[in-house]
Amino acid sequence: MRTESTGYTKTKPANPVLSVVAKFLQNYWGILLVLGLWEAVVIGRQLNSIVLPTPEDVVLAVIQNPILYLTNFLSTAWVALVGLAIGAVIGTTLAIISWSSRILSGVLTPLGLMFASIPVVAIIPILARLLGYETKTVLAIVSILSFFPFFVYTSTGLRMLPPGGHDLVSVIGTSRLRYLRHLSLPAALPSWCTAMRLAGPNAVLAAMVAEFLMATPGLGTLLSQASEDLNKAVALGASLVATVVSVMLFHLAQHLEKRVHAAWK
Amino acid sequence: MSERATTIFSGALGVFLFLLIWELIGQYQLVGITWPPFTVVMEYLFDPSRRLLFQRALSATLSSMFLGYAIGAFVGLGLGVITHLFPLLRAGGDRLAAVVNSIPAIALAPLFVVLLSRGAAPPALAATGSFFVFYVAGTSGLGSALQSQVDLARVQGAGRWRRFTNIDLPMAFPTIITGMKLAMPVALIGTILGEWFGAPRGIGILIVNAMQNFQIPLLWSCVVLAATISLSLFALLTIVERAAFRRYR
Repeated sequence: MRTESTGYTKTKPANPVLSVVAKFLQNYWGILLVLGLWEAVVIGRQLNSIVLPTPEDVVLAVIQNPILYLTNFLSTAWVALVGLAIGAVIGTTLAIISWSSRILSGVLTPLGLMFASIPVVAIIPILARLLGYETKTVLAIVSILSFFPFFVYTSTGLRMLPPGGHDLVSVIGTSRLRYLRHLSLPAALPSWCTAMRLAGPNAVLAAMVAEFLMATPGLGTLLSQASEDLNKAVALGASLVATVVSVMLFHLAQHLEKRVHAAWK
Repeated sequence: MSERATTIFSGALGVFLFLLIWELIGQYQLVGITWPPFTVVMEYLFDPSRRLLFQRALSATLSSMFLGYAIGAFVGLGLGVITHLFPLLRAGGDRLAAVVNSIPAIALAPLFVVLLSRGAAPPALAATGSFFVFYVAGTSGLGSALQSQVDLARVQGAGRWRRFTNIDLPMAFPTIITGMKLAMPVALIGTILGEWFGAPRGIGILIVNAMQNFQIPLLWSCVVLAATISLSLFALLTIVERAAFRRYR
């Protein structure tokens, strides 16, 4: 196998430009296909930009209004990140507390699993009504929705001890606190990173949905207002900005997760 | 008491305490009038005069959800099979799925309303959400064949297609069932979000109208309804999943 492949490259040196293009196509054919279809629909059905703008119109809308997008992006991103952090701290802390007591974990774990498997987005209107239409409500919503994955995954992770770990520490004989610090917490880190990968993009989504419903400042409201004004390019620009942020968060978290998984193996 | 009995008992205790706290907060209005007691919500939900209202909403939501779920399964698993059979396409497929999954659903909804119709947003969002779960389950399941099995197939002269039908597909089955389970709540979230963009009827519409018009018991009833559907389907598929794992592993 190996000699075959080296023989191939010797007889036919790859054109550097061509190989970059090939690499790009290999990675992005799916996205290009979707964008192409979109473009084709707009041109084919001769839609004007009030009905549906082309992808270029959307990109242009973002480039032409940098201040508008930046301010809305910042208010959404700020709320999403702070909410994510609060959810992570509370979720992780509660998972550790419930780990420390058999009764608590028996009572809390099924509840956590239950909440993790219901459509939590449906709770947003209840929280909006409970707390009022304000930015701090958006923060609370993001925190609560981020809480569940951290609680569930950290709880599971705290029990995924390396083989023999429990026996070793029991033989040495140690306090519960040191057991937690040296064995359970490190064991939980990969699962915790998985929670981060799930909760990160979700925090942006939750913040936008909450803004959209309550009309508090941010990308969600920019989206709904621009749609109402029939300014579809600006509305979809908000989608574009949110998508880019969300993809970046996802990749960042995935990268972190892979590194931790590799280090822990 | 056996381990299993303890788990069930403490789980039931957890749910009971949760409902009790919910009831007490509502009865004593500890957080204001927007938190109704559990019993009030149940009374509202099971009132015979509202049966038709809930039945209609439920049937609209469920049919959108299952339609979207089926489309998501077909496209997600289909793309998974294609990228499995043609590894050259794998990187692009992964990236497409990741991007589709990262687009906030409320950002996609207006696009579907424009491109298709108002009524199409709920099943379309259910489909995009479940597509990602099915794609991930499909690709990771199809890739889970052991090296020894692959070697055996090669030694016996099986081609790519024979290997796919006789090894990869059966090996992928349990993972795909796990995907079916995980995609269910995702499809329901997509449906409810899609309904907020002006579907004619559905649980999502009831939720958002109840929120805007301050109909607190209606709001809570609808959320309880949505949660119950999701939980029961999830539980059902968990049972199927366990059976599949026993059969195939």
